[in-house]
Amino acid sequence: MSMLSQWLRKAELLLAPPLTRCLICGKNSKGSSPLPEVCSNCAVTIPWIQVPRCTTCGRHVGCPDCTRSNEPTPLICNRSAVAYNEVMRELIGQYKYRGNERYTLLLGLMLDRAYGLLKAEQERERQVQLKGQKRNTLFSYLGYKGEDTWRADLLVPVPVSGARLVERGFNQAERLGHVLSSCRGIPQLALLLRTHHTGKQSFKSRAERLSDMKHAFAIDPGMKDRFAGWLQTRLNPNAPLRIIIVDDIYTTGSTIRACAEPLQRLADECGVAVEIRSLTLARS
Amino acid sequence: MKAATYAVECNGTWRVWISLAPIVDFCWWEGREEKFGGWSHNQGMERLVLLTLEMPLGWAVLFRDRFRSDKHMHTWSAREWSTYIEDILQAELKAEGDGNGNGNGNGYGYGNGDVIRYSGRLLTGISMWECEGNRWRLTGRGCNMGVSDDNRTDEGQAFLRSEQRKATNVTSFGDERTEVLKWNSNFRDRSDREEEIFLGERIENLALLARQAEQLVHGVSGRSLLEAELEALLLDQSPELCAPWRRAAQLAHLQGRLSIEAAVGEDARGGAARQGLRQLPLVAGALRAAAAWPPHLGFRRGFAPRRALPRCRRCGSAATARTPCAACGLSGCAYCEACLALGRSRACTLLLRSAATPAVQCTASSDPTVAARRWGLSAAQAGAAGAALAFLAERRQRSAVPSPEHSTVPGSKRSAVLGSKHSTVPNSKRSSVPGPERFLLWAVTGAGKTEMIFPLLEAVLGAGGRALVATPRRDVVLELAPRLGRAFPAESLAVLYGGSTERWVGARMTLATTHQLLRFYHSFDLVIIDELDAYPYHNDPMLAYAARQACKPDGCFIYLSATPPTDMQRQVKSGKLAHARVPVRFHGHPLPLPRHLAADPVRICLKRGALPKKLIQELQISLNRNAQIFLFVSRIAHIEGLLVLLRRRFPSVVIEGTSSQDAARGEKVMAFRDRSISLLVTTTILERGVTVPQSDVFILDADSSLFDEASLVQMAGRAGRSKDDPAGRVFFISPQWSRSQRGAIAQIRTMNRIARQKGYIRKESLQ
Repeated sequence: MSMLSQWLRKAELLLAPPLTRCLICGKNSKGSSPLPEVCSNCAVTIPWIQVPRCTTCGRHVGCPDCTRSNEPTPLICNRSAVAYNEVMRELIGQYKYRGNERYTLLLGLMLDRAYGLLKAEQERERQVQLKGQKRNTLFSYLGYKGEDTWRADLLVPVPVSGARLVERGFNQAERLGHVLSSCRGIPQLALLLRTHHTGKQSFKSRAERLSDMKHAFAIDPGMKDRFAGWLQTRLNPNAPLRIIIVDDIYTTGSTIRACAEPLQRLADECGVAVEIRSLTLARS
Repeated sequence: MKAATYAVECNGTWRVWISLAPIVDFCWWEGREEKFGGWSHNQGMERLVLLTLEMPLGWAVLFRDRFRSDKHMHTWSAREWSTYIEDILQAELKAEGDGNGNGNGNGYGYGNGDVIRYSGRLLTGISMWECEGNRWRLTGRGCNMGVSDDNRTDEGQAFLRSEQRKATNVTSFGDERTEVLKWNSNFRDRSDREEEIFLGERIENLALLARQAEQLVHGVSGRSLLEAELEALLLDQSPELCAPWRRAAQLAHLQGRLSIEAAVGEDARGGAARQGLRQLPLVAGALRAAAAWPPHLGFRRGFAPRRALPRCRRCGSAATARTPCAACGLSGCAYCEACLALGRSRACTLLLRSAATPAVQCTASSDPTVAARRWGLSAAQAGAAGAALAFLAERRQRSAVPSPEHSTVPGSKRSAVLGSKHSTVPNSKRSSVPGPERFLLWAVTGAGKTEMIFPLLEAVLGAGGRALVATPRRDVVLELAPRLGRAFPAESLAVLYGGSTERWVGARMTLATTHQLLRFYHSFDLVIIDELDAYPYHNDPMLAYAARQACKPDGCFIYLSATPPTDMQRQVKSGKLAHARVPVRFHGHPLPLPRHLAADPVRICLKRGALPKKLIQELQISLNRNAQIFLFVSRIAHIEGLLVLLRRRFPSVVIEGTSSQDAARGEKVMAFRDRSISLLVTTTILERGVTVPQSDVFILDADSSLFDEASLVQMAGRAGRSKDDPAGRVFFISPQWSRSQRGAIAQIRTMNRIARQKGYIRKESLQ
């Protein structure tokens, strides 16, 4: 009897729709949600940043930091996919510190969404510019037409130090960039290298982070040739090179700015104009 | 991580070793004089082939385990060795190549190219050594052999040089800087002709290292630790070992006291399966041979068995996830998703294990009556504890019999009768299951299980053994710890739970939540598992595996449960599982028998907005007799609606509801214990653990499929716990009878009947 009921249960499982286990709440659900492996209940708890309040750093709330320092930086702007709250802390912690790499795709797709928003924003700006220029000459209008869609040229992940890489087994920024890269077909080059091991950022104050970060990054000498080689293959060598720095969390932006500087220098050496932006998963 | 791998020929037999610090291995195989305790004497080492200084640890372990010595190996050149390695790791190399070919190759700067060229590089990493006195001579090297064509030789030279540089890195930790520099310069200054290196005084203080190895083994004995956990343990327990631990560990490994494994690897249970097969009759053996035959026919692709999934050696789960890994450079390095919470276990993570000393020869069996008096046990408790003690004692006799096979001893040697009449001895069959022996203490709810474990612990600790009490819940651990401390003031006690500060304390008595068992390996003589059938232990093969690993192979398990899982009940019935029952509560009154009230399901009542009349009447009776009421429901969603109806009906009574989703659950349970809440509507989360002196239990929708027999018995067990109010009232409220309800009532009846037969029931409650 129990045998029969066991078989019946198995047969039922065969016919039932597949259940996926939600990465956030751990429950099984039939799942038709916009994100993979997340149930629709949890999907609504994700704190998306739809429209950033601060156009520089992409923060979802008013931002004193961007007005505070007037240091010149090659970084044009940052955009983040989500606000860094309890839900995201848990998610990123599970991924980064526990090493549950099942989250890679989910978090990568979140980053991809942020890229989509950035792209739309850039294209809108372009439209506005175009409207202004339209009156001037028809010719310039035609000339710009090809640039109607905005596209980044290169992704550069923020590196982690060698010791951390061995300990963790992966570089989260690089993995997220990998997902974005395969979604959008933008190449990713790990141009940067961490020159010294800065301790965990999460234990430091703002001032400490800022001073710590200067000169923490350099161009990987082994990648210079590859970069130069890659530059040769560009279709439109005169257009500015749009680089996107990829990272998981943007807190003060010191990491990203420290990464942007060597990239700017590298571009100057190679004689190309660059536009450096950054894309991060979460904005605290 | 990556590790060095080499093969050594001793007395004509080849063996492969993995090394965390190759310099230690060179010193070891040189052989030492007697005065160096902990170092080998001359072992007849003939030659050593250093295969590689950096192989992904997972592969190194696979290679080591699959390696078979061959008598022609001493004639082999580097080329043959590299072909042999490629052959053995064929499947892995192929999978790695496929992974890269699919375009999901990793984007790391390392690895990708390395792996594709790995097989080519194997050759150049190989070097062959012979030792005369304590002088090592290089007799052959990969890049010098045969590869005449093209630039591969150059590449090989470059690779060898980089390997050598890395070799110095591998060993460059600790304070023995000078020595490392010497080793370094030795490599750097060496021209191609000068192929001797001297290791005589390489490690300046061999005796010191031997002591460190001793200390390390002592610190990790009986544990199963990942590299990161070992580092944490050393930081906590012996910080002076933090720097040189790799060398110390390598020496201990060479001494055979520490095993080096990859945390995820080929099926760790293979051994057990093979043992089982050995006992099959002849025909089955022939069939098995036939089944093993086809691969030799060359139908490899079609007939070869599908490669088993790699398993986590720490928790036993299949590791399905594969990701590119920066630590070993492979693009498909497997990791285990089941035990992530204790640190990630991957195919290239180092897992160090050291079995504790062999199981103790226990003292002569202690007298159950004395024990009962000392621990204040009731007659029923004493009877069962006596049976368990007899089980332990009888095991002692058995282990005293020298036996070639440790874990499988014919059951005929077991004495037929145990101390107590109501225990059964399983015969012969059970010994076919290798590993620790099991004993079930089946004690009804409120029987006082905790008191019964004291005499058992006493017996094992008295014999110099190590004991573990594992319980599912943290609060039980915290509650039990001081009691154990008081009971055994002279013994060291480690209390382990998530976030405990005593994580790395070595003690003879360990009290832990079940997940902590993953960190032990063949450590305990006695493992007591409390509430075997409760979450999380029940239905979690990982924890069962962990418990098996934690117990010494000839140690034993004692399970405590009021409601053993059905398969265990079946084993009890068929006599395959030794057990003892405690059929009565400590106060000697029978268990309250549930009554059935026929009523509409809660769903309907809520819709109608009225509670069943019979339910209200019975609730009123309970409230009148001043009892606190547990009202169990099957669904969290019903709680709110019920609260409204109940509060409307009983406005003067304090009524609350709680569930797993309630943030204030802890406070509400506390308030219920303090009697400031009289009626608590809840789900199965409170089916165990919460004890209130005077309580009645109402179970709504008792026919729900969410309530199985065990949880009905447990819920019914909330009533009548106290000596002053032994006759609590229990009601199953449902439209119809179900199998679980009948089963639960039958189980309670059986226990009461056994108790009456044994004369455990007090006279006043018999009337």
